[in-house]
Order: sequence, then structure tokens, then C-alpha cells
Amino acid sequence: MAETTDDIDERALIQAAQANPARFVDLYDRCFHRVYAYVIRRTRSREEAEDITSTVFERALVHLPKFEWRGTPFVAWLFRIAANAISDRRQSLARDDHEPASAQDPFEAEDVERRAMIFELVDRLPDLQRQVIELRFVEEKSIREIAAVLNRSEGAVKQLQLRALENLRKDMEGRRG
Amino acid sequence: MAEALVEKIDRTIDQLLAREDASAALRDPSLAALARIAGELRMCPRLAFRLRLRADLKRRTTMSTVFETVNVREGFTTVTPYLRAEDAGLLDFLVKTFGAVETLNHPAGPGLTHREVRIGDSMLMIGEGGPVAPTMRRPQAFHVFVEDVDAAFERAIAAGGKSLGAVEDRPYGERSGFVEDPFGNYWYIARHLGPTPVPAGYRTLTPYLHPRAAGAYIEFLTRGLGAIEEFRHALPDGRVMHAQLRCGNAVLELGESEGEGMPRSGVFYLYVTDPDALFAQAVAAGATPLGAPADQWYGDRVASVQDPAGITWYIARPA
Repeated sequence: MAETTDDIDERALIQAAQANPARFVDLYDRCFHRVYAYVIRRTRSREEAEDITSTVFERALVHLPKFEWRGTPFVAWLFRIAANAISDRRQSLARDDHEPASAQDPFEAEDVERRAMIFELVDRLPDLQRQVIELRFVEEKSIREIAAVLNRSEGAVKQLQLRALENLRKDMEGRRG
Repeated sequence: MAEALVEKIDRTIDQLLAREDASAALRDPSLAALARIAGELRMCPRLAFRLRLRADLKRRTTMSTVFETVNVREGFTTVTPYLRAEDAGLLDFLVKTFGAVETLNHPAGPGLTHREVRIGDSMLMIGEGGPVAPTMRRPQAFHVFVEDVDAAFERAIAAGGKSLGAVEDRPYGERSGFVEDPFGNYWYIARHLGPTPVPAGYRTLTPYLHPRAAGAYIEFLTRGLGAIEEFRHALPDGRVMHAQLRCGNAVLELGESEGEGMPRSGVFYLYVTDPDALFAQAVAAGATPLGAPADQWYGDRVASVQDPAGITWYIARPA
């Protein structure tokens, strides 16, 4: 398979981080949403997903010097670390009732990509819309509570909520070409 | 129509958040695509978490590797400025202006005395004795916080300083006046216009660097010396008017060099855990090696480099 520009960029980022660990955050910025999107579906709570995600990047940082680029995306390596971290946790909690799926499951992969894309696009929404999304879906606040936090009417908050979702849909279609 | 959609999607979101059956939305063509996105958004990461983990990783990859466990001598921080002077005049100026206290002096070669001086809670090293070689004549600039800036400014002028800017309230939250001492060092004497004379996170003395092409130089400091950029105010053309970086537990400030007496270089003593590693890292990032890491008679292991701004760094592991 020919190397795409994206592969070359990613390879350069990996080499830079191997030479200077301070550059690891560039890989983090590039991969965070996909790792989180992968982890969240396999965990039982946001707190657990955050714990696992932290573990993934911490382990990746420690093992980065040993990483060899063989043409597979860097994030696939992170998914493997994530699958192991989840399985470690299950074992330590002695409730091994949730076999982690293989990181290479093609349906799963598409799912993760789509979810990660949405998360990433949320970051790019206009500030107020992004805040509404975070308050509504992450904090799970009611429209009334959000209206109080943002000092806006409930009607205005609902409008912002709808506009945010419509923007996300439009952006997704744009990304897919 | 649009109003109805606003209500319909809101009801769907309520159902999703309450883990109730929201499948009806998927059968409504006006709603299905938005409802699917809403379903994914329940799993959206917290922005605060993403930023915190990023900051943690950044801290681990910069400070921890070279600075975190370093035991510097009492009163010192990671970065100590080193000034060169012909005679005791510089010490005299610092004593008169800032109430500096000499904490150490010992001979450091023929006609040369090594002095360590405390100003407030900060340390300076002075190499004293003449003549000073032109390559070592490296006047620096300092941001120094005092209780009474007007009085300190007057003392600086009385001690032989030259005004570079009278004391006034500045739009960036401090009252300050600027003085050049008889040895060419610049002192930006300031009082923070806040609850304390020294702003949070700062010490009495902060080196203020004036490199050429400050943006590129910040890149060197982060890559080469593991500094963390904390703040940057840049113009649209990229010129950096003011920036703040943290190097270990010391703060460095810098701004584009403009006008007379610029750019400035300087000499710094940098305490780290692994001078060999940081020496290699600095050279890989574009610094010129001056001295390979070696154990010194006074116990420190020291390497030295000259960076792209002409600053000499003595990279040392303390004895």
C-alpha cells in the first residue's frame, strides 16, 4: 500500500516524539478522540473511561521508544493498549464478564471513527453551542439548568441545542465528502 | 415546522439521557440523523478531562525527565543568571537598590571572584574581576518585583543607574520603571497591581530574554531545554511582544528584541538531573556545544552550550 500524506505526517510525529518525549502531546492531540471513542463503549461509566484513557496514554508514553512503524496506523497500537488495559481492569475487579472485542473488528472500527469524528467536531462548534452540548450531554443538565448557567432563556438554549446538532450533521457530511 | 423540530429533538434527548426508548426518533426522517448524533454525544468526553490529561502528559515529558527530582541548593531555582563584572560596583548597585545580600564568595581563578547574591527570594551569580573579555560581556535584563517601586527606582538612579522609562502604571497590570545599571544590565522594576506585590507563581527576580526571532527561539527553549510555554502575546505578523515559559521551577520571560542595546544574550546556570541527556537534547535542537559533560572540582557535573540566541547555558547536576 502506498504511503499517504497522512501516514507520512503521522510517522514524522512518532519519530519526533521518540527523539523528544515533549513532542508526545502532538500524538495525543491527534489520537485522543479516537482512543476515547474506543474506550467509552467498553466501559461502564465516564469515570472508568477517563481512567482507562489516562492509562492508555501513560503506557504509550513509556513504551513509545519501542514502537516500530510498520504501516499500520498509530491509533491501532493505542487500541491494543486500551483493550489490554480494559481487560487488566476487569481481571483486577474479578468480574471478567465482558470479553473485550478485538481491536481489528471492522464494524467496531467504523463505529469508533464516526464517534471520534463527532467528538472532534464538538470542539469546533461556536463556543456557546459547544457549552450547551457539554452541559446537556456530559453534565446531563436539564434545559432549565443550562438556561440558568448560561443566563439565556430556555427557548434560546433549545435553539442552540438544535443548531449545534445540525452543525454537527452538516460537518459530518462535509468530512465524508 | 422549525419550532416543532426544536421540541421533538429536545424530547428525544430527554429520553436518551433517561435511558428510555428513543427508537421512535429513528423512524422520523426529519429527526433520525440528529437523534443518532445525539446518541453518540452521550459518550462525549469532558473537555476538562482532555485538557487535564494533556497537561499531565506534558508535565511528565518535560519537567520530570530533567528537572523534577533535582536537589538544588537552598534558595536556588532551576535557573540562575550569571553576570560578569569588572569590580565590586555591580554588587554595590544591587545592595543599594534592592538590598541584595551576598551569601557566598570565593576565588575562582586569578583575579576572579565568584559571588552569590540574594535579592528577595532569588539568587544571582556574579563573576567579578577584570578585565572582562568582550565575549563574556553579556548584560542581561530582569523583571524584579518590589514593594515600593517608586523608592526602588529612585535608589537605582542614585546608585548610578540610568532611566530607560519613568515609573508609571502599565496597562498589563503593574506599576513599573525601567533602569539600566552602570554595567549595562536592564532592570524592569515593578510592583504587581494586585493583592500581592509579586504576582502568583513568580519570584522576586525573573530573567527577561530579548532574543532575535523570539517565536523560533521559544521553539528552541521547549525542544532543547524542556521549557514549557505558559503564555504568549504575539502580533499578527508573528512577533512575540511578551511570553512566559517555565523551565523546571523557574520562570523565564521574553520579548522580541527591538531598539537600542538589543538583542541581548546572557549566561545561565541550569540545574537538572541529567546534564548528559539535556546537553544532547539541546545540541540536537540546534545549540552549539561548548563543553562536554564533565565532573567539576566543586562537585557539580557540568556541560555547556551556546543557544541560537547566543545565550550560554551551564547545564549542571548539583553535587
